[in-house]
This record gives sequence, C-alpha cells and structure tokens, in this order.
Amino acid sequence: MRNFIKNHPQQAALVSIDVPLISNQSVLMNIALIKQYHENMPTAKAEPIVFSALRRLNLENIAFKRNPDLNDEERFFAMLLRAVMVRDALVIIDRPLKIVPHMKNIDYIFQALKNIENLYLNCHIYDYDWMREKYGELSR
Amino acid sequence: MSLLENIGSAVIKLIKSFTDIINFAWKILIRIFNRNTYTSAMRTVLIDQIYFTSVQILPIFLITSIAFGSLLIGVLFLQLKQLGLTQYFGHVLMGLIVTEFSPFVTVLLITLRSGSAINTEIAVMKVNKEMSALEAFRIDVINYLMVPRVINGVISIVLLSTLFSVVLLGSGILFSGLIFGMSIDAYSNVLLNSANFSDIVIALLKSVVFGFFIILIPVRFGLQASHELTSIPIVVSRGMVNVFAAILTIEVLSLIIKLF
Repeated sequence: MRNFIKNHPQQAALVSIDVPLISNQSVLMNIALIKQYHENMPTAKAEPIVFSALRRLNLENIAFKRNPDLNDEERFFAMLLRAVMVRDALVIIDRPLKIVPHMKNIDYIFQALKNIENLYLNCHIYDYDWMREKYGELSR
Repeated sequence: MSLLENIGSAVIKLIKSFTDIINFAWKILIRIFNRNTYTSAMRTVLIDQIYFTSVQILPIFLITSIAFGSLLIGVLFLQLKQLGLTQYFGHVLMGLIVTEFSPFVTVLLITLRSGSAINTEIAVMKVNKEMSALEAFRIDVINYLMVPRVINGVISIVLLSTLFSVVLLGSGILFSGLIFGMSIDAYSNVLLNSANFSDIVIALLKSVVFGFFIILIPVRFGLQASHELTSIPIVVSRGMVNVFAAILTIEVLSLIIKLF
C-alpha cells in the first residue's frame, strides 16, 4: 500500500481509520475541503458537488453532522466521499472492517462504490490475509 | 547536579524555546506574504476564525469595556481633578488609555478566550491524528490551520483594541461633563490636541505584534502534543504560561521603544 501511495502521490486518496475526519468541521466541510484546497474551488461551487455526491449514497442528512455524531457506516462513507474528491482519485481503502467493525456483508461497500464510480479512477482495498473470506469471490 | 549546572540547563532550555518560537514565527511570516497560501479553503478558515474571535466575543467584550472603561475613566478623572492636573487629562487619555491600556486589556481577554481554545484545539487535532489526515491528503497544515489563525489574531486584536479605545473615549465624554463640566466640543478639542501620531502608530504596531504572538505561541505549543490524551493539559498550560511571558516582554519592549 505504501508503495502504491509513493508511486501515485498526487492521486492517492486514502480511506483509513488512521486518516480520520476533522472533528471540528461538518461532513460537508470535510469533503469540500479537498476541492477547495487542491483546486482552489470557491465554497459556493464545492458544496453543491459534495451535496450531489452525498445524495448518491442517500446521505444528505449527514451533511451538517460532525465526526463524533456519525455512526460507523456514515463515517466510512464520509471518508470515502472525501477520498473521491481528489482529482482522478485512486482510492485506497485500508482495512474497511476497522472502520465498520460490525459489517457482515462487504457488498455494502461495493454497492456504494458502484453508485459513485464516475467520481474516481480506480479503487484498491487492502486488508489482512485472514479477512480474505469476508470478500468472497472478489478475493480470488 | 550543581546549582550552576541547573541554572545553565534552564537558560539553554529557555534559549532553545525562544529560538524555536522565532523560527516558527519566521515560517509563518513567509507563508503570510505568499500569495499561494490564500486558497479558498484557507479563506474559509480565516473567516470562521475571525467570526469566533472577534464577532462571538462582542457582547461580552462591549459589556466589559463599558463597565471597566467607565470605572477607570471615572477614577482617573477624579484623581486628576484632586491633584490639580486637569490640563493633562487629554494626554492621559491618549497616552495611557488609547496606546497602553486598550491593547493590553484586549490582548488579555483574547488570550483567555481564544488563545487557550486554539491551543487546546491544535493539541486535540494532533492527538486525534487529524494533522496526519490533512497531510495524507496533501494539505499543508501550516497554510490551512496555522496561517489563518495567526492572521485572525492580528486582525482581531487591532479591531477590538480600537473598539475598546472608542468605548473608553466615549465614556470619557460622560465623565468629562460630570467631573470637569466640559462640553463635547471642548472634550473633542482636548483629545485632538493631545493625539500624537507616533503614539497611535506604536499602539497599532503593538496590537499587531500582540495579535501575532498570542495566537502563534498557543499554536506552536499545541503542535507539541504527543499522541496521548494526557499530553493535552501539559501543552496547554505550557502554551498559556509562555503567552503571558510574551505579553509582558512585548509591553516592556514597546516601553523601551517609546523611551527612545
């Protein structure tokens, strides 16, 4: 994973428990920040993009919530949307089950990734070898 | 360890801490004058910070300045009258209240409210690995977090200390009428005649330096937090002690500059 990030420093977009959301900002601000900082996009232009992305995952209701108010799934998707805001994002999901520990069906993540598939170039999921069976067919 | 060694190591520590703050201040100054720092994200943080520091505090600040300012002006005018120094009241108002007292009280209020909050905020962000998260997304922590807070410190102190002076001079109208039987026109004349341009410039410069350091020091100490929660109170108390030391140092330096 480190090599991948090293090889794609401008496109790597990490979703990881070690890369948390900024707790004193809303989900909306956390996600919009990437566009505002990397592309110098004005707030008025960045926020509709974020709302539209949240809508695709039926999560408009979390736009004004902050990190501590989110449940595990909401936090994961907020992190995922923040990652896809990187231009030509190569999304790296690091141990998703550490972010959503009680998730039984990994398809939940794949469905969400499908809903926003035009927002990123590629997605890689990294996990421990012993978690392989959780990913079913996809791990083979 | 001998007494001499203890003194020596304390002095070395002090010099190291001082040079560390100066280096950090230099880094921030360079970024402040760099156009690329002012991204849309940075401007959003700057506006938020000005709102938190200068606007949210306004009700408390106005009440404090009216109550405290009126009391001070009243006592000061009475003393001047009793000592037969009525003719100097304009110089006292401009020289003491506007150039010395207003920036000092403002800086104390802002340090207590915003300096401590920023120190804690940065320390908590460090503990929660939020700084690393920003770095992971190639967001420059200095440009995004530090520079807007420091600029906000400068803007807020200059504006609020000006407001404090205006409130004090306003209550001066009331007390000059009550104690000296002076009309508003006469009062304004005395003030204008006593106003010294260099004093006002020094007061403004002092406010700028105050604003810069009372935010920069808490930010610097907040960054020294480790990844343990227990490090937060340690860095906050260290930061606040250093801010108060800086306030006193700046006061003394401005006095020395005025003497020459």
